[in-house]
Amino acid sequence: MPMFLIFWKLELKRAYQRFPQMFAGATALLFLAGAVALLAGRALYGDAAAGRIAVGVVLPKEDAVARQMISMVSSLDSVKSMCDFEYVEQEEGIRGLMHGELSAVMDVPEGLIQGIMNGSNPAVRILMPKNAWLESRIFQELTRAGAEILAASQAGIYAGNEMYLSSGRDGEIPELERDLNQLFLSYSLPREDYFQHRQVSATGDVPILVFYGISAYVLFLLLLAIPVSGYLTPIKPVMRQKLTLAGIGSISRTAGRIGGLASLLFTISLILGLALTGMLGPAEKWKLAAVLFLLLICLAVSAFVVLIYQAAGTLLGGIMLLFLTVTAQHFVAGGFLPSVFLPDGLNRMALAMPSAILMDGVKLMLAGQWSVFAAGKLFLLFSGGFLGTVMLEKWEERKGL
Amino acid sequence: MLEVTSLYKSYRNHKVLSGVSLTASPGECVGIIGSNGCGKTTLLSILAGAVRADKGSIRFRGREAVGHAKVFYEEAAYVPQENPLMEELTVKDNLSLWYQGSRARMEEDLKTGAAAMLGIGEMLKKPVRTLSGGMKKRLSIACALSNHGSVLILDEPGAALDLECKAEIRSYLEKYRKEGGTILLTSHELPELSLCTAMYVLKKGVLQRIDEGLKEQELIEIFRKE
Repeated sequence: MPMFLIFWKLELKRAYQRFPQMFAGATALLFLAGAVALLAGRALYGDAAAGRIAVGVVLPKEDAVARQMISMVSSLDSVKSMCDFEYVEQEEGIRGLMHGELSAVMDVPEGLIQGIMNGSNPAVRILMPKNAWLESRIFQELTRAGAEILAASQAGIYAGNEMYLSSGRDGEIPELERDLNQLFLSYSLPREDYFQHRQVSATGDVPILVFYGISAYVLFLLLLAIPVSGYLTPIKPVMRQKLTLAGIGSISRTAGRIGGLASLLFTISLILGLALTGMLGPAEKWKLAAVLFLLLICLAVSAFVVLIYQAAGTLLGGIMLLFLTVTAQHFVAGGFLPSVFLPDGLNRMALAMPSAILMDGVKLMLAGQWSVFAAGKLFLLFSGGFLGTVMLEKWEERKGL
Repeated sequence: MLEVTSLYKSYRNHKVLSGVSLTASPGECVGIIGSNGCGKTTLLSILAGAVRADKGSIRFRGREAVGHAKVFYEEAAYVPQENPLMEELTVKDNLSLWYQGSRARMEEDLKTGAAAMLGIGEMLKKPVRTLSGGMKKRLSIACALSNHGSVLILDEPGAALDLECKAEIRSYLEKYRKEGGTILLTSHELPELSLCTAMYVLKKGVLQRIDEGLKEQELIEIFRKE
């Protein structure tokens, strides 16, 4: 039998000797991850934010059309489900913001409707307090979405105008605008007419509970390495020297360590999966795509974790670096709070975070769907961890560390 | 039989070995002494094939090893100062790694070979982490000798062992030498050096032959001499 196969067999044996520690750690982590998910859910949708968003609307005096438009906006499904509009004077609105009674104030300019019709588009000023960031961000997203819908409607009207102008039907333009306005209006009120039954959520295309379940599972896998830290610390220099002499280089050594951890995570995940299906009733049949995704996820997590331990160099350093790196990147990835609520800079970084890649993989695993793109990203994460560890090992070997 | 000729090694501008030559025949135990940091471990690592020499020749039983990793692997039985063992696994698991899974060869050695002489058979099922320092050192030697190498190379075999374990290891090494084995070791301890049939001092990168059986003060004087 080739030497590297014997080494891998022994690495697996070494890994499985830590199974009881990992199992105990898994139980403790499950409680911890559950508590974190629950707290995050409460922070996002609990008492503090479940209260509706109060928005003050400052209208120009005697502008009945603007009042009618705001009344229409307030009856839109997405707005109606979260916001309460109240008409206020400007000073009253600012006072409401300062006292925390209002989450935002919309200052509507004079001639708003006419401006929309003639294309001058006067801006609606939105005032937000500095400290009510969660409600403000939700409202910001709503206004941005509203502006986009409006822009699309305008583009439609302008396109119609241009078409009529170029075909010499200038006289029919007012009639066209009236018809189009009616059509856009009729579609903008019952939104489900064109969105059908699509659920809009801050957590993306999965329900909140599933989102936090996925996030907790990814965090659980990443932190599950802590109880088996002894297995993950870099190999002793003398052992490394002897193994190199025997033809087991850094590639075989790294593969052995990653393989050992991945097989432990795979086994724990299977046990967890079976336990959950037992608790929640009969689940869908296991699909090949789901098993392949689980395998890729375990390999990617292991490679990432092994790289961290290799970089840290010591057991305690590895535990601390793993905890800090995992929690920081999980936050940026939107694992604790959906990335839509994070500042723009972090939001852009989210997609590149290991947790985001792993969460995408878990979503597809649960759906039993295969995606080359998601599998490719997981493979890239695995390759990055693997090659990073090999390079670090080689560097340490050269330096005699 | 080991023949080392004009071995050179430098780390950047620091010359560690400047033309080291020595020979060791079957039944011989060659001791290398020197002050801390003089390059003893580097020399042994080169002889084991773990570190590459800049220049020179190393021949085991007439086979040139420099540039031929396989010769080092087959001929040098290297025991570093720290034990290269997988602590969580059993003695048998550790042996199976170095015997490359060849159960027949391992069992034969456990009956009649170096492993038998080192008393490894009695502790096969024990996890390595539960062994004493002396037992671990015996196991390290047995693992190193799994290749039936012609030269046993030991870097301070008695370091970090208690008196009883040191004596135990010495008696095994003496037995191995008397049975025709070739030993090359470095040490700072006189009882260990008393095993040696030839002694060298490594100073300023050069090996110098000295008389065996010198007293502690005489050795210190040699280290101090310019």
